[in-house]
Amino acid sequence: MVHHRRRATFPLSARAKVFCFFFSKNKALFFEKRKQKTFAPGNPVPYALLLLLAAASLLLGAAGVGIPDPAIFWQLRIPRTLLALLVGAGLGLGGAVLQGVLRNPLADPGVLGIGGCAALGAVAVFYWGLSVAFPPALPLGGFAGAAAGCALLLLVFRRAQSGPGLILAGVAVSALAAALLSLALSAAPNPFALYEITFWLMGSLEDRTLLHLALAAPPILLGCALLLRLSPGLDALSLGEETAASLGVPVGATLARAVLGVALAVGAGAAVAGGIGFVGLIVPNLLRPVVGERPGALLFPSMLAGAALLLIADIAARAAGLWLPLAAEPRLGVLTALIGAPFLVSAARRAAA
Amino acid sequence: MWSPSTKPSTPMSCGSNRAACLALAAILITHPASAAGVVSLNLCTDELLLALAPERIAALSPLARDPTLSVFADAGARHPWVRPSAEAVLRLHPDLVLAGRYGAQAAVAILRDRGLRVEQVAEPTDFPGVAAEITHVAAILDVPARGAALTASMQAHLAAIRPRPGTSAIFWEARGYTAGPTSFAAAVMQTAGLVNAGTGRVVGVEAMRAHPPALLIMAQAPAYPSLATDLLAHPALAALPRRTIAPALLTCPGPWSITAAEQLSH
Repeated sequence: MVHHRRRATFPLSARAKVFCFFFSKNKALFFEKRKQKTFAPGNPVPYALLLLLAAASLLLGAAGVGIPDPAIFWQLRIPRTLLALLVGAGLGLGGAVLQGVLRNPLADPGVLGIGGCAALGAVAVFYWGLSVAFPPALPLGGFAGAAAGCALLLLVFRRAQSGPGLILAGVAVSALAAALLSLALSAAPNPFALYEITFWLMGSLEDRTLLHLALAAPPILLGCALLLRLSPGLDALSLGEETAASLGVPVGATLARAVLGVALAVGAGAAVAGGIGFVGLIVPNLLRPVVGERPGALLFPSMLAGAALLLIADIAARAAGLWLPLAAEPRLGVLTALIGAPFLVSAARRAAA
Repeated sequence: MWSPSTKPSTPMSCGSNRAACLALAAILITHPASAAGVVSLNLCTDELLLALAPERIAALSPLARDPTLSVFADAGARHPWVRPSAEAVLRLHPDLVLAGRYGAQAAVAILRDRGLRVEQVAEPTDFPGVAAEITHVAAILDVPARGAALTASMQAHLAAIRPRPGTSAIFWEARGYTAGPTSFAAAVMQTAGLVNAGTGRVVGVEAMRAHPPALLIMAQAPAYPSLATDLLAHPALAALPRRTIAPALLTCPGPWSITAAEQLSH
């Protein structure tokens, strides 16, 4: 099984390794192994980088640069930093899993409308007052929306397995989510709900509370744990569903777990951060030259890099709000879209070539 | 990546059915005429109309009955309401339409085009402006005596306010906007003796916590969930001295706004 092939490495002496390297035909394989080590769970370098970023994030904000007073530190910077890491991790990992499952490097929770579906669920729950009565309803709503969107997408994809078909299904899911959102809000008790939501949909982590963190963290962590375990299944799926099944991989169960995991990791994030797109698209595509093409190997690095990317974007948003003469802090989703949209075009051109 | 294979189809239109379309439209437009009266398309004109000539109301805007926004929500709920769309207003055959300076522009243009009398009322930014607006609308409604009485009682209430010694304050609104120096909220604060430290720009929770004013003023949270006012309840600001006022008092400038000034003055 693929699972075993990945784990079992023969203990070779240094001399044997050099020997093998010179006489092997596919030398790229050796580098692939070395590349993977950079992002292996045991390597401390990525964690150190994330810690550095987190420290920078804790020291920067609208109050200025430096150690802020305790209220700002604990009630604003801590939730903001941890939410950026968590939401980014969920989006990066969700993107890598979707790209693996759908065998398409253009897949992204935002582009395919899963983020929009999550927003639909969360926003409907919020504006209809359910989350006031029962706060965990907010991430649950995001999860339910994302799960529905993800399942719908997968259903359409499995019927017509083509790249354009997938992207068109994503367009349809996005449009459906936007229409239902607008419909749900125009019937909500708040007469300004539709105006408010356009702003919220641009995504932001500004002014979030510890409650938001407490609500989003458990589902995102659970979703990430589920998705990380999909690695061997995704490797097998990259050979096609029939081949994967012949290798003994339970295809249906793997896809169901992918839907559940993506819905948890992406849905709960969107419920507290709004619409943040393109992280799941950018991260796996950036990592492929470093980590290699194997979808299973991309998962863990994508999670870390997603966390780092969103935290960097959020630090940039705060820095812009602090030092540029802007009326308000730039929205986080706007920044990720500014990087992501050109990235989507270049990835699409590469995929077409 | 993919090539669109769909050919443009013939556009749908009334085409040969034009006569039928016109007949249908004629039936819809020529609704039996109902009692004429005044239609208001804007919350602020709703409130003035309710204060000056409630007996002439044909319909109010849907917001007039919203207790969060309207000071006369109970009275407003006793009158019919109409959406600010030209067609809905036309079928009421009003003899006067009151509208705001902004919003429902397309409807206003169509109504004027159809020969209806539409008066657009600008929002004042201070109390003398409110008095002028009352006089103006009272003249439009042909009730100048009521306008004069309302203005006189307003002046008396204003004169009764004893401003507190200057305290720096920020009026913090939905989405973190602060009331700017030329806003009506600033005029209310000035009447109460407060010094407005707001600039009209957005201030987030962290900036507010880092540079807090002596007093934070905000509207009471609305009865319904609102993402825009969520940040006003952020726990990081729980320790700041604050005053909340009913949002309806300041949504539209009017004599009722004096209550807000009076509440803030002590």
